[in-house]
Order: sequence, then C-alpha cells, then structure tokens
Amino acid sequence: MNNTASVVIIGGGISGCSIAYNLAKKGVKDIVVIEKKYLTSGSTGRCGAGIRMQWGTEMNCRLAKFSTEFYENANDILEYDGDIEFKQGGYLIVAATEKEDVQFRKNVALQNSLGIPTVYLTPKEAKEIIPHMDETKIISATFCQKDGHLNPFHATQAYADAAARLGVKFMKYTEVTGIKVENNKIVGVQTDKGFISAPVVVNAAGGYSKQIGDMVGADIPVYAERHQILVTEPVNPIQNPMFMSFSLNIYCQQTPHGSFIMGRGDANEPRDLRVTSSWHFLEEMAKDCCELLPLLKDIRVVRQWAGLYCMSPDRQPIYGKVDNVEGFYLATGFSGHGFMFGPVTGVVIAETILGEKSSLPIDKLGMERFAKGELLFEPSVV
Amino acid sequence: MLEKTGVATEQDLQKAIPSKERLAKGPVAIIECFQRIPCNPCYTSCKKGAIKEFEDINDTPEINVEICNGCAVCVSNCPGLSIVVVDETYSEQEALVKIPYEFLPLPEEGSFVTGLDREGKAVCRAKVVKVLNTKAMDRTPIVSLAVPKDLSMTVRFMKLNDIYSDNTFVCRCEELTMGELRELIRKGFNTIDEIKRISRAGMGPCQGRTCRQLIMQELAAATGAKMSEMPISTFRPPVKPIKLGTIAGGADHE
Repeated sequence: MNNTASVVIIGGGISGCSIAYNLAKKGVKDIVVIEKKYLTSGSTGRCGAGIRMQWGTEMNCRLAKFSTEFYENANDILEYDGDIEFKQGGYLIVAATEKEDVQFRKNVALQNSLGIPTVYLTPKEAKEIIPHMDETKIISATFCQKDGHLNPFHATQAYADAAARLGVKFMKYTEVTGIKVENNKIVGVQTDKGFISAPVVVNAAGGYSKQIGDMVGADIPVYAERHQILVTEPVNPIQNPMFMSFSLNIYCQQTPHGSFIMGRGDANEPRDLRVTSSWHFLEEMAKDCCELLPLLKDIRVVRQWAGLYCMSPDRQPIYGKVDNVEGFYLATGFSGHGFMFGPVTGVVIAETILGEKSSLPIDKLGMERFAKGELLFEPSVV
Repeated sequence: MLEKTGVATEQDLQKAIPSKERLAKGPVAIIECFQRIPCNPCYTSCKKGAIKEFEDINDTPEINVEICNGCAVCVSNCPGLSIVVVDETYSEQEALVKIPYEFLPLPEEGSFVTGLDREGKAVCRAKVVKVLNTKAMDRTPIVSLAVPKDLSMTVRFMKLNDIYSDNTFVCRCEELTMGELRELIRKGFNTIDEIKRISRAGMGPCQGRTCRQLIMQELAAATGAKMSEMPISTFRPPVKPIKLGTIAGGADHE
C-alpha cells in the first residue's frame, strides 16, 4: 500500500470518486480513495439514483442543472467503456395539497427563469404523461422532461475508472480507524491496512461521516437516517417519468431495465446506522403505490433494501473546511441528494482544496452557516 | 517435430514407453524427455537409483524400469514436467496416470476432469483419485487420474471441467454470460457483491438462486480464493417475488 498521499478521500461512493477524478484532472498526484467495502457499497449503491432540476431555491436549481448537464455527457467526458444509463424520462411531481400547488407555481416560474424547462400541468394533463395514475388524488403537477434516472453503480464506476487512469489509487475493503491531527493540522489516516501520511483528508463517508468527523474532533451536525426502497421484477416500459409527491411521500420510477423502484421518507426510521429492511415499509409503500398507481398492483416485488441518508439540519449539503483542523474537508450532509449532486461535489471540493474560486454557487453551504444560524430553506424535498 | 510443436513424435515415444510386461507389473515412471539440455534433477531425486547417472549433464535420462517402483518422486522434481507415472494395474478397466499439475485451483479428489493428450486435445473424462501437494514437492503437486486403460499412453495432462463456455448464461434472470463474468473478474471485480452491482447478476426475480454458486465457483477458479472463505452476497427479503397488490392486502389478495 501507499504510505504517503497528497490527498486521502474517505468514501468510495459517487462523492468520493467524483472528488478524486476532479482533483486528478486538475493535476493533483498521489490521491488515495479509501473504501470500507467496495465502491458504491454505502449510500450510493442503495439510492434511488434519480436526478431532478425541479427545486425550490435558485442555488439548488443551478447546482442540479450543472449535474444534469454533466450526466448527459458523462459517458463521453469520462470515456467510460460501459453506460451510465441516463434516462431522461422526466420527473412528474404532483401537488396533493393547496399549499404544494401554490409552491409549485412559484417553483416553475423560478426554474423557467433559470432555463429549466419545467411545465405546470392540470391533473388531466398529468394523466396523459402517466396514464395509469389516479389523477383524482392530485391538484396539479409539474413536469420537467430533462430530469431522470441513472445507474448508480455505472455512474460511480465511470468516475472511478477515469480517476484510476489519471493515477488515483483505490483501496477497497480498507477501513479508516483513526485520523491523526497534530497542531490542528491533518497528518495522516490510520487504516486497518496501515498508516497513510497525508496533509489533506476529505470526509465523503456518507452515512458514516459523523463518525469520521469525530475522529478529528469536528462536531459535524449530521446524523444517519435509514431509508428504504423496494424494486419489482422488470416489465415492459409503461412509465416514462419518475412519479413523485412530497406530501404523499412517494417516489416511483421505472428504470430503463424495466423494474420499478420506489421509496419514501419516514422520520421514525432508526438513526443507528442500521440498514436492515422492515415489513412495515413494504406494506405502507405497497398500499400507497397501489392507490396512486393502481396498475402496478400485479407487478411482483423482488427485493427490498435500505440505505442511509446523511441528514443535515437544513437538509442541504455541507461543503468545505472545518474550523480548527487544517486539511480536513467535508462533502457530507446530502440528506438524500448526494447522488444527484455528485458532479457538483467533485468540482467544488477540488476547487476548495486547491484554493480556487468556486465556479458554482456554494458559498452558503459551509459549516459556518450553523453557527451563524443561517440555515437554508428548500421547500421541495422528500 | 518436437522442437516446432512441443509434441513428442511417435518415434521418440517408442523409446520411452516400457514394455507390456513391465506395465503389467505395476506403477512405473515414464520419462518423456527428448531434448538435450543441461538438467538432471530426475537422477538426483531418484532414491532407488533407477535413473542412470548422467555422463554429460546434457544427456537425456535413461531409466531402468525394472528398478523403478513408480514412487513418483521424480515427477515433481522434473522442472520440465516431462515425467508421469502410469499404473496399469489400478483396476480392471482403468489405469492410473500421475501427472505434475502446477495450476490453481487444484482439482478436488473425487471430482471429474477432462483428460488431455500431448497436444492438449480432450480425450476422456478422468476421475481425480488423489491430489498430492507436500512441501517437499515445492509447488509441483501430483494429480492421480483414473483413465480408461487404452488411454494410459495418451492422457498426459488434464483441465478442470470447463462445462461452461463463454456463451453459457450464468444469471438467467439478467442474462449475464460466463464470458461477460470472466471479463468482469479480469477487470478487478473480485467479489460477488461487486459483480452483482455492476452486472445485475442476482438482482432478478430468482434473487441469485442459480447464479450465486456459479459466480463463486468462477471467482474461485479465476482468483484461487476458496469458496468457503468468500464473502457471500446479501440475501434480501422478500425472498420470493410477491405482488404489490398482495402486500397491500387489496381486493385481489391471494
């Protein structure tokens, strides 16, 4: 193993691989990515892997637009010999309450002003896009054709392969057991395979980023919350867009492969790093799905699993440095949106580490916002 | 032409193969070494003194088959892997051919492999009777193959039963072929979890019932890892596919 590195990135998910690629592309040598299991084994490989530009704040719209445009060309940019399977079938987000309807009208105006081609739809118009939905349960909907879904394993692998070609070393099945800090500066990372001295460490550990932060005494205000998903057998394509509702608490997408993937949020889920599955989820999810999309009732569920959302106080990412530990950088707190922000994360963390001016509007996403009480408000999250 | 093809000629073999009478008496070493090279471990390793001392180290070996008892010490000592021991008294129908075998994984005792001739062509199904791999053999294990008696002078090597061609489907739900699996393993996807995620093998309706074992076997064959020590993939509920409507407990509840 390498016993020195210029940058050690903890976490082999989309964030870690994207950061590694962007740093290497900017000429940084001796980058090491440490992953406890295999690439995508954490939240990346467990997520719904949807990506949308339909957000309620200008910042999120801009960041999501950057990610979407990157993924549109990622096979070429990353020279991937596989396919990241980006299907831009759109997101149909339905409003089930008056309050949502009011918010959605504002969102569409904002999104359109930023060049995001979202349209506002009546229930009847929405039904034309997803004919098997029960439109009587909704007030309105918004639809952006450019939103979509991709294969999280291949998207991550595309980044990892490109990074490896630029010289990045990946240490799979290697666990970080400690981080050495001297005089408030990062000195290196202790792993179960040995010590790596490095002046820069990036915490991209997803659900485990709180534990990684604790290793340097940085109190990152995040917690891991279990979220569950189920997937069905593959069937012929019948649903092009992602169907999503914040108030009805559901997202449901048919992948290019044919299987339906659906999940939801639940504030009562355990916060103890557990990734086991529950029958309760299966039953509640199936009930709501059969009500809103009755046609799906005869499709068989083949598998369910769970992953960790890394929740921040305002459900927005935490990017950048921490006070008092020089060389320690955060890419965490994605609150369920780390996969879609992967391309953004790589660019902004690479720029931050190299001391460059940020090319994306992330100045409000630092740790300091919590101390100052300047939390960001995003009205459109599941 | 041995020099061009690597295959011994009939003429050469005539000199090496013992008489019928000798073969009928029990195991004997057959030295198929026909090239003059400076090499003599067969002679130095033979405790019985059956292999004659070399006058010139470049000489090809000469064996006294009447002294040789087929102990096979020379088999793993020959750097050229040119010696086998043949025992035609093994059984009524079969002869035992003891070959040096330096590949991984080693075959399992009791399993069946494919017997190969000197050109590497498959000639029979052979049972692995014994696999000897002691420290003294210095990583040249000896595999004892039971082969049809009439092939005792034909079978000189083996390959593990490769019943799966590159076109064979490993995962029938997601249509991953053995060829695609082998390519993934070559690229460094060396655990069943990684293969599952990058290829979808095991994600279909059967949930890996067929492919799980096959992938692990292939991983073992390709990497030398032991199946018993391999991490297995996660078994996820609900194990058997269930309709969404059934789970929801709707009117169509079965």
